[in-house]
Amino acid sequence: MRIIGEKINGTRQRVAQAIEERDSAFIQDLAAKQAEAGVAWLDVNAGTRQDKEPDDLIWLVETIQSTVDVPLCLDSANPQALVAAIQVVEQTPMINSISGEPQRLEGILPLVAEHGCPTIALAMDDAGIPETCEERMEVVRKLMETARAHGVPDDDMYIDPLAMTLATNTDSALITLDTMHAIRQEYPETHLIMGLSNISFGLPARSYINRAFLILALAAGLDSAILDPLDRELRAALVTARLILGQDRHCLGYTRAYRAGLFNGMESNS
Amino acid sequence: MSKKLVNAIADMKEEEALNIAKKMVEDGSDPTAIVDAAREAMDIVGQRYEKGEYFLPELMLAGEMMAQITEMIKPELAKMPEVKRFGKVLIGTVEGDIHDIGKNIVTFMLDVNGFEVLDLGVDVPPQKFVETIKKFKPQVIALSGFLTLAFDAMKETVGAIEAAGLRDDVQIMVGGGQVNEEISKYAGADAYGKDAMAGVTLAKKWTGAK
Repeated sequence: MRIIGEKINGTRQRVAQAIEERDSAFIQDLAAKQAEAGVAWLDVNAGTRQDKEPDDLIWLVETIQSTVDVPLCLDSANPQALVAAIQVVEQTPMINSISGEPQRLEGILPLVAEHGCPTIALAMDDAGIPETCEERMEVVRKLMETARAHGVPDDDMYIDPLAMTLATNTDSALITLDTMHAIRQEYPETHLIMGLSNISFGLPARSYINRAFLILALAAGLDSAILDPLDRELRAALVTARLILGQDRHCLGYTRAYRAGLFNGMESNS
Repeated sequence: MSKKLVNAIADMKEEEALNIAKKMVEDGSDPTAIVDAAREAMDIVGQRYEKGEYFLPELMLAGEMMAQITEMIKPELAKMPEVKRFGKVLIGTVEGDIHDIGKNIVTFMLDVNGFEVLDLGVDVPPQKFVETIKKFKPQVIALSGFLTLAFDAMKETVGAIEAAGLRDDVQIMVGGGQVNEEISKYAGADAYGKDAMAGVTLAKKWTGAK
């Protein structure tokens, strides 16, 4: 299970402020805390100040790299910003993300192929997020075909089946889980990734929904996720679900998490 | 009877609400009373949403009930006098984007706050906005978009309104997904609304509504 730490994201107001003010200490603290929590990649999103995005992203990359040595996940839909940032990264970065949208696919995929980057691919195209599992699979097939044609190995593809909020369609999690099963069947070498929080948009007490969904997604084959690694309840749920799903040899992930105090202070830890 | 209808809608009792409305139509009630009751209920739903008691699913269901009741009394509606409104808002998701959840919430909140709202739906080409502005004569335009490609579509839409010589007649707000102040400036809009209530506040300010 690979976790991508989501906290350095310029669409969050406090991070946007830190980027604008070039507040290195704030960014480095976020990076260090997430690195300590054991993330495989740190997501780096410079936000949506369009003309400033390449400079902002480079600043973020350099600021983070001077503190931690975790690989970065460059998060942008803008090929120029990605090209600029790839020049300054010390370790091969993950790219977040491509999709069936021609601009993102044709603009970013050559970069991915050239640098051998693991890449997140969203099951959507310029018509938006397809409603059904079968339509999402059509997009996925097109994406995989194009990626293979560029010589990107299946093992570098992290496919995001996408989750729409349950608030407007109570079948939306089922559609996502069905899509995951279908991807596992057709492309067993690819990875399945997801940003969790969209599922609960517009609903109260969102963390409960996100947690239950994470567990069900793990059972459907999710092997990586973009989430808040500092959320202890979420990590506890994750460790426990992996144990139950037979993904934790000798239960060591679970007992180590226990010894490290992950379950401390939670209600039912006896 | 109409008090019962208000409560049934406001309390999310769909079946009961539709039965009451149907009975009122059959009994020959004034369609104005039915519409007023539905509107009063929508107002309560809007307040509960703002207070954090109701959430997106309740707004969706309320919208569905409203649509079904409107359908029921459609033949009578045509004969009704116009309700006095603060002003007109034209709303739509810009070309190339088909996301409508945020736009629907904004439409709902503008409606319950006393605006006449015309919703053009999703994937609306710039020319469609221009043509509708000429006919509908709104004071406020609300452009919605979720995808990043919506930024350019918003800019093109504002440009088309300008090219048609209509820019000075309207105030334009943008919102949705990754849209922010920067995008508002980029698109040449007048303001960015971060959520539905911000949209209502802008529309009130621009139309001089209290």
